Amino acid sequence: MAAPDAAARVVDALRHELAAVAASRPPATFMEVCGTHTMAIARFGLRELLPESVRLVSGPGCPVCVTAHRDLDHIVALARLPEVTLVTFGDLVRVPASRSSLAAERAAGADVRVVYSPRDAVELAAAAPERQVVFAGIGFETTAPTVAAAVLEARQRGLANFSVLSLHKTMPPPLRALLDLGETPLQGFVLPGHVSVVTGLDCYRFLADDYGVGGVVTGFAAHDVLRALIQLLQMDEPVIANEYTRAVRPEGNPVARGVLDQVFEPGDADWRGLGVIPGSGLRFKDEFAAFDAARRFTVDPGEALEPAGCRCGEVLRGVLDPAECALFGARCTPEDPVGACMVSSEGACAARYRYRGFDD
Amino acid sequence: MCLALPMRITAVADDGTATLALEGLEQRASLALLPDAVIGDYVLVHAGYALSVLTEDEAEETLTLLAALAESAAAEDAEAASGRAAGSEAPGRPAAAPEASVKDAEAGGRA
Amino acid sequence: MTDATGRQPAERGPAKPAAGPDAAAAKPAAGRLRGDRVLLGHGSGGRLYRDLVAEVFVAAFSNPVLERLDDAAILVSPGRVAVTTDSHVVQPLRYPGGDIGRLSVAGTVNDLATAAARPLALAAAFIIEEGFALDELRAICRTMRETADEAGVPIVTGDTKVVERGACDGVFITTTGVGEVVVDHELGAAAVREGDHVVLSGGIGNHAVAILAARGEFDLKTDVVSDCAPLWEMVEGVITSLGGGATGSAGAGSPSTTALRFLRDPTRGGLTTVLAELAEGAGLGVEIVEDAVPVAPGVRAVCDLLGYDPFALANEGKMLFVVAPEASERVLAALRAHPYGRDAAVIGAVTAAHPGRVALRTPFGTRRVLDMPAGELLPRIC
Repeated sequence: MAAPDAAARVVDALRHELAAVAASRPPATFMEVCGTHTMAIARFGLRELLPESVRLVSGPGCPVCVTAHRDLDHIVALARLPEVTLVTFGDLVRVPASRSSLAAERAAGADVRVVYSPRDAVELAAAAPERQVVFAGIGFETTAPTVAAAVLEARQRGLANFSVLSLHKTMPPPLRALLDLGETPLQGFVLPGHVSVVTGLDCYRFLADDYGVGGVVTGFAAHDVLRALIQLLQMDEPVIANEYTRAVRPEGNPVARGVLDQVFEPGDADWRGLGVIPGSGLRFKDEFAAFDAARRFTVDPGEALEPAGCRCGEVLRGVLDPAECALFGARCTPEDPVGACMVSSEGACAARYRYRGFDD
Repeated sequence: MCLALPMRITAVADDGTATLALEGLEQRASLALLPDAVIGDYVLVHAGYALSVLTEDEAEETLTLLAALAESAAAEDAEAASGRAAGSEAPGRPAAAPEASVKDAEAGGRA
Repeated sequence: MTDATGRQPAERGPAKPAAGPDAAAAKPAAGRLRGDRVLLGHGSGGRLYRDLVAEVFVAAFSNPVLERLDDAAILVSPGRVAVTTDSHVVQPLRYPGGDIGRLSVAGTVNDLATAAARPLALAAAFIIEEGFALDELRAICRTMRETADEAGVPIVTGDTKVVERGACDGVFITTTGVGEVVVDHELGAAAVREGDHVVLSGGIGNHAVAILAARGEFDLKTDVVSDCAPLWEMVEGVITSLGGGATGSAGAGSPSTTALRFLRDPTRGGLTTVLAELAEGAGLGVEIVEDAVPVAPGVRAVCDLLGYDPFALANEGKMLFVVAPEASERVLAALRAHPYGRDAAVIGAVTAAHPGRVALRTPFGTRRVLDMPAGELLPRIC
């Protein structure tokens, strides 16, 4: 097909190379574990470029999708407190919790604000000392250091009205949990590019060493993903490689990790679809208890209700294709979602929904 | 996740924030997580914080890749075409290749 | 009573005397307005109200029909008449590239243009918050007048209400437009055929990005300005290029004007919404070439930063045309000859495949589906 400019030609060449490499190897299934990868793959229509023998599944990489209902309910309960200004990334606003959502709470009169940066939440707190500013902290290792840095700034500025509900999680533990489950044989991982900017490569070595599964840290352009798949296919020995060398150093960003470690320590976290994984979450160190919204406020989130028929957990584990869920496209659509995989624009179901009816 | 954008640092303030620019967009971000970044650096910015300095490695790799594909595309074209006009450009080599930069590699990927 | 077409600026001049008790009030009273803010009393219909109308609205919009200060304006049109209305509640009221005044006039002129209707007259209703600065109101009326002049249309009647402080956001403006349809055939999704070309008059996303930056919710600065503009002249140029008469006569409607099938301006909901409406309405598929859709680099940068899709963003100075394929070169040339259509491009085509759905062909030759945007635009970090 025609490839009129540089990027398209590169992708075209890589597609051919991938086909050639795949032809001489057994079929393989690779898993990506980053919501932005899910988005990019959908946006570029990359699945159309893959040979038959290469399957790419989405794993638990969308921080919105993996947030458990009881945690979403906790956020909603905080938003309902009259003294609270609930500040959040846009990603969370429409996610359905057990009985409500932040959008619904806002319509009912709650003070809910959307920001692009946790620094904006700190500014809000400084500008409104009579309000309790609570930041909904979601995200993995790319985002958690930014929240930690914001907390340090709040402390340095002596703000007594700023706190964070930390629902942050780290990437390597769910990968181990997934492989332990052994539900789908995986030949390798497309590893998250921006998480790895912070973590570096070492935290993934256990994939190769303990499970014999390789991984490639991958950027977000179409050519990045194709190159990573080629590298994965060509691995004779499982290793952890870096395709995203322009942004990721093998040692990661030690300053960012230092800030993270200063404020947070590993704790248990509840992952939709995977249950509680010990040590996979980030909780505030005692020194920062004053900024921990979980300790500052006592709320009753109510009983967590999983929507009937929702199979987001299986989708997140990569064992159910979204189209196989009975609710998909019928009861559960982006306009009226049941589960988080459909709400988040990079949830596997939302990404898949865009393809329905084409080339079937 | 996560959404991060490559932007160039145009100014650094005393309070640890930097002014970043890209195509007429100007944004302030914190250098708290990347304190050694300097004016002129091309950095990845996520949620208002600079996370990493981008290097030119990729540009070189892209150029190598483009050269390689120019050869393979030429071979394909020679097989497939009969009596096709050669044209002034060698098949498969985009005119932009010599100018390829980190920005182009990123931009091409975002296309 | 004499009829007035209300559409020839050349006729502007002293108001024609008319029988009736309001004749004495036809001349604007000089300098009776006191203070610098709008008061509740200005909305009450009495003396204060008459002073506001005379010194702010009539002074700005002056034309023979308006100056009669009748409750209704009489228009004459030789052909089919189009009517449209729009409410404008933009915040901030002023932004790079425009203000609520320009928006309220251009928006309605453009809606008329989608019906291939030359604007004949506009009506403007104002709901003003008590305490609103008179100077700001005058400035808004000035830009309304400038934009209306650019579109060749007078503002012939209006209404004013003043509400308590807090009951509205500064000022809300509703404009209603009446226009004369200059083509004989039915425009619309039903006229669209397989193989038709989809032509866009220029780059998308500028208005939404300019507003976003002006609202200051995110700490960013951009050089992107709103594209807010009245497009009738540009659309008229397209119709003329197809051999159509835009002079107001019923006309035989040369066969080539039927090459124009469908026009829509991609305002709220963006290009995606217009394409979805097109596909659904026509019962046909639409395929768009992603790289062919012009997006200014400044718009692209803001979208990449916040995770927005330029296709979902509002525009206020763009028009989408669906035209017969043999006419698209002419249409493109006519658009590019106009200042508001310099970046016009053919962005796709109508197809029999995937009826009712819109597909985007990526630069890599793959396809993805374009669906209507789900709801409010939210920035992402993930």
